[in-house]
Amino acid sequence: MHRNRRTMLAGYLLAALGVAACGGSSKSPSAEVSASSTSVTAPLGYQASHAGGTLHLLLNASAGSIDPVPASQVPIVQADADVYDGLMGFVKAPGPAGNVVVPDLARSMPLVSNGGKTYTFTLRKGIRFSNGTLVTVQDVLSSLRRIYTVPSGVAGGLFTSFVGASLCLKTPSACTLAGGVSADPSADTVTITLTAPDPNILLKLALPAASIVPPNAPRHNGGDTPIPGTGPYMVASYGPNSALTLVRNPYFREWSAAAQPQGYPNEIVETFGVPVESEVTEVEQGQADGVLDPLPADRLTELSTKYASQVHVSLTPDTNYFALNTRVPPFTNLAARQAVNWAINRDAVVRLLGGTQVATPLCTFLPPSVPGYEHTCQYTIGSSATYSGPDLTKARQLMRQSGDAGAPVSVYTANDPVSEAMGGYMVSVLNQLGFKGQLRALTNAVVGAYFSNSKNKVQAMLSGWFPDYVAPSDYLLNNLSCASFYPDSAANYNQAEFCNKPIDAQMYRALSAQATAPARADSLWAKADEAVMRLAPEVPLYANKQVDFVSKRVGHYAYNDQFYMLIDQLWVR
Amino acid sequence: MLRFALRRALSTVVVLWAISVMVFLIFFGTPGVDPALRIAGRDASPQVVATVRHEYGLDKPLPVRYALMMYHLLIRRDITSYVNPGLKVVPEIASAVPVTLSLVIGAAVIWMLVGLAMGLVGGALRGSPIDPLLTAVGVLGVSLPVYWLGEVVNLITQSRLHGSLFSWVPPPGYVSPAQSLSGWALHLLFPWLTLAVLYAGIYSRVFRAELVTALGEDYVRTARAKGISERRVLFRHAARCSLIPVISLFGLDFGALVGGGALVTEVVFGLPGIGLLTYNSLQTLDLPVIMGTVLYAAFFVVLANAVVDVFYAALDPRVRRA
Amino acid sequence: MSVQPGQVSSEIDPPSETPGESPPSGLWRVASGQLAHNRAAMGALLVLVVIVAACVAAPLYARYVAHTNPFQFNVSGTTVSDGKTVPVLQQSTTGLRLGVTPIGPTWSLSHYFLGADNDGRDVFARLLYGGRTSLVIGAGSAVLCCLLATIIALIAGYFGGIVDGVLSRLMDFVWAFPVYLLAISLSVVLLASGGLNVGPLHLASNSLWVPTLIIAGCYLPYVARPIRGQVLSLRRSEFVEAAVGVGASDVRIIFRDLVPNILPTVIVFAPLMMAINMLTESALSFLSIGVRPPNASWGTIINDGIGLLYTRPAVTIAPGLALAVVAVALNVLGDGVREAFDPRGRRFGRV
Repeated sequence: MHRNRRTMLAGYLLAALGVAACGGSSKSPSAEVSASSTSVTAPLGYQASHAGGTLHLLLNASAGSIDPVPASQVPIVQADADVYDGLMGFVKAPGPAGNVVVPDLARSMPLVSNGGKTYTFTLRKGIRFSNGTLVTVQDVLSSLRRIYTVPSGVAGGLFTSFVGASLCLKTPSACTLAGGVSADPSADTVTITLTAPDPNILLKLALPAASIVPPNAPRHNGGDTPIPGTGPYMVASYGPNSALTLVRNPYFREWSAAAQPQGYPNEIVETFGVPVESEVTEVEQGQADGVLDPLPADRLTELSTKYASQVHVSLTPDTNYFALNTRVPPFTNLAARQAVNWAINRDAVVRLLGGTQVATPLCTFLPPSVPGYEHTCQYTIGSSATYSGPDLTKARQLMRQSGDAGAPVSVYTANDPVSEAMGGYMVSVLNQLGFKGQLRALTNAVVGAYFSNSKNKVQAMLSGWFPDYVAPSDYLLNNLSCASFYPDSAANYNQAEFCNKPIDAQMYRALSAQATAPARADSLWAKADEAVMRLAPEVPLYANKQVDFVSKRVGHYAYNDQFYMLIDQLWVR
Repeated sequence: MLRFALRRALSTVVVLWAISVMVFLIFFGTPGVDPALRIAGRDASPQVVATVRHEYGLDKPLPVRYALMMYHLLIRRDITSYVNPGLKVVPEIASAVPVTLSLVIGAAVIWMLVGLAMGLVGGALRGSPIDPLLTAVGVLGVSLPVYWLGEVVNLITQSRLHGSLFSWVPPPGYVSPAQSLSGWALHLLFPWLTLAVLYAGIYSRVFRAELVTALGEDYVRTARAKGISERRVLFRHAARCSLIPVISLFGLDFGALVGGGALVTEVVFGLPGIGLLTYNSLQTLDLPVIMGTVLYAAFFVVLANAVVDVFYAALDPRVRRA
Repeated sequence: MSVQPGQVSSEIDPPSETPGESPPSGLWRVASGQLAHNRAAMGALLVLVVIVAACVAAPLYARYVAHTNPFQFNVSGTTVSDGKTVPVLQQSTTGLRLGVTPIGPTWSLSHYFLGADNDGRDVFARLLYGGRTSLVIGAGSAVLCCLLATIIALIAGYFGGIVDGVLSRLMDFVWAFPVYLLAISLSVVLLASGGLNVGPLHLASNSLWVPTLIIAGCYLPYVARPIRGQVLSLRRSEFVEAAVGVGASDVRIIFRDLVPNILPTVIVFAPLMMAINMLTESALSFLSIGVRPPNASWGTIINDGIGLLYTRPAVTIAPGLALAVVAVALNVLGDGVREAFDPRGRRFGRV
């Protein structure tokens, strides 16, 4: 939720169905769109002259559990990336390179056998946790079991393909992963066996949830008690309402500059509970080095003129949409859904958020950062590939066709000012079309759980999706496949309750093509996206841009889709 | 007298108990707040939620859950947050108390000094143009929305005049006096003043009214007739008697503020006190923290009420029979 | 929990001496005469009348002068400033071109007099509409609060004993109860269920009754306590004891002897409570738990403006000032009313 207050579902970083997709997503069109003001060159290796100092970051809200398994909010994912390692790791480099996985605690890429169902990893030798003990293959085994014993959405969402996973999901206390994960201490190898091939398994093993921690780590959520890790930093102190302090891990020696490079600051301090306006002021005055919250809209103009060199803008891989429930009237009606799609002005939506430098309008479910994204637009005036405005004539015509004029529609959003403004805009468009719109802004703490649950028969809601990793399957299969609709559960991400068998088949075809023909897979994903949009279960609205504001002394800024700002790579000297 | 105080203490406990029950019921009556969902993580699968519900005893009947929560909150004092797993609520409240106390005591000193001085001058100089002027200032103080005043103060000191007049004002937040005494005072200066404006307005009005009444009383007239100087009459006789209701009022206000009544001031100035803790826990609907802060606040409010009642009972035996 | 602190309970407390023979019938005439001669109070009344009239005329202003619908988003619209047509929401054009800023005050009554808010709506027109809401909630909750408080105080003070004990503890309970929690929870319940049906009444989620009832409820003890004290001492006064002695019914005693005597106190409370309640309403709305859209109040406009504080402070400052002016006027009027009923500061002055 932290990443972005604009969409209430921002907390949905971790969730998926464990259905496979392509591994690396190096071919990403995001390079041309992202980093519009950043000009980060490829790292030239570690520059020791910039090492040292204390990096001081500010965060408004409390940060929650620091345990890597349930970690989903950006600040915690960012910090955990500097404290923990998995067998695999995302490359800690700016731009699209960050979506690629490389061996981290594993010595090399695993040996794949048994028709893509068995992966054998060899552990690097001599790596120690920050408490001094050596990392063993047994630790890998116990850490992978922790995925199931620590309550979170990760296990059921992503880690369903291990042999033995179903037992672990059902009764976590009896979880052994027998037959699924085995360790051979004499050869230093870990073998993972899957029930079916899962081309995404290496990406999943690079997520914070699969971090390797000592065997005595609690089986439940570690909460605010830090667990030792292997990364360049360790948690010196943590209070979810006060502060997080990371200091250098004395046992860390760089083993892979790609997966886990040495960090620059000697200490990283994050102070929590600071009002957002003061965060900006403190960074302006050089009393702190960076703001971890979305910047307040009324400061943007000031920042972009007086502090332009300290502001970094990057396109995020999130997608934000207005979901229309296809199983509750009036949006059971295709014409009504299409009418809304024609009528909502994405440019106005972007203007409400702070303009085109803060967000980018979307026509497709997949945002531009994702492979499979195609620059095309179905619901725009004229026939251009770029969004250029609503077509109210078409919308009204479809409305007449639908016969739904006068139908009451309740729009659900969170009750923070930006969401409320956005919801207010949706309601005013619905009213323009002849619906009787009503805004229902619920407190942030309950809104997602409420409108995701099909029991509540919510007609329309503002929602969003943050990918676990940047792959089209993570977006489309998690939000718009038949299997992604969990009735009567708050864990349902398919809020449109959309299920179309032919499109489902199309998505799975794209998925199976990933392993063999990635380029063809991408175009299949694009076709699936287009097919979904023709049925209009959602109105895609915008993709956010991450606007980071750092102090004058900060150098070596880098952003990637997985970790956002790479905090341990910042220079304060 | 002792019996009265005991009876009052007993009814205080009953009131606190009723509040805790009500908070508990309201919380579980609100749709969408299922704590199991929070602990499990919002995107957890139904099995995980069911497991958590069982492990945390959330599948037990409501009265049992209430009893367990109170046991962990009041007796074991190890209750943990639903939203920040592992975070112990009682130490969290304890660490917020010094911030709130710093804010409230500082503001109280200012408002008592300013408010009483204004009331005294106004009362003594009745008929002169100074009196209505002071009354107007007092009325204005009572009429400004506190949070709005705080935001405007922030706007002026942090932005509009930060480059010139107020360059010495630190960004909002709290610094403990152990860390830096001057930093502590500087960070709290504007919150103190903002909070004090309202109360100074109230206290100057109350004190002036009391004083004016007292100055018309027989004993004051007698004193004057005896030839005692006007100043002596004012300070020795009238002001002294007029202070009693002011002090009882102070007891009530101070109790409410220490309990978290300065919520908006703490929110606007980012002071991590009881008020901000309450506010944040309400934003995230974190029942254990809500329960802890609400009971803490109610304790002070009810206690202040009871103390003031006992104080009056000691002065006026008639009240005891009521 | 007091949202807007200010327990001025001792300011208006039971009179020390028992009021003389039953209802002071001349009091009302004398008081209104007194009040009419109080220049400050009359000035305050005039200010209130002007503000109320302006707020009542809000639709006329929006329709015929500003030509705008202050509840409709105007994200892509334009307006006229200094004779030039400009967009209502202006995309930043300098530096990195981050952010969109709504138009500031044009000081032209027909074009965004006080500028626009983040959604491109006319702030001045919203201010007038918001004033209606704030005044209605303030007045409604003040009347409701005083009425209920009087009933509770009469019952508690007259019957005494266990009835009084229970009601007094109930008041303690209400006073210490967290209003915010109640407001948040109630808003979720109402929003989720689409409204509550209380007998024949339908309570919609954005109904103004919700903040009105919450505010009236949370200040009940504040008004009831001092009135109860007054009823208590009246109950022990000679003329009431005499009425009891003659065998007059409870109802008769309450309405003939008690009500007329406490009515002045209640009347004095009303304007002060309205001021406090309006401030409370704005605080609740500031915390996003008061008035719900599409309604606007001065509190919600301040809340809208907080996000624009650094660029367009007028959106925050204007409703705050309006609120302060009304509160000052109500307080001055309240003081006038008190003085009118009690020229020597006797009746309500002492504990």
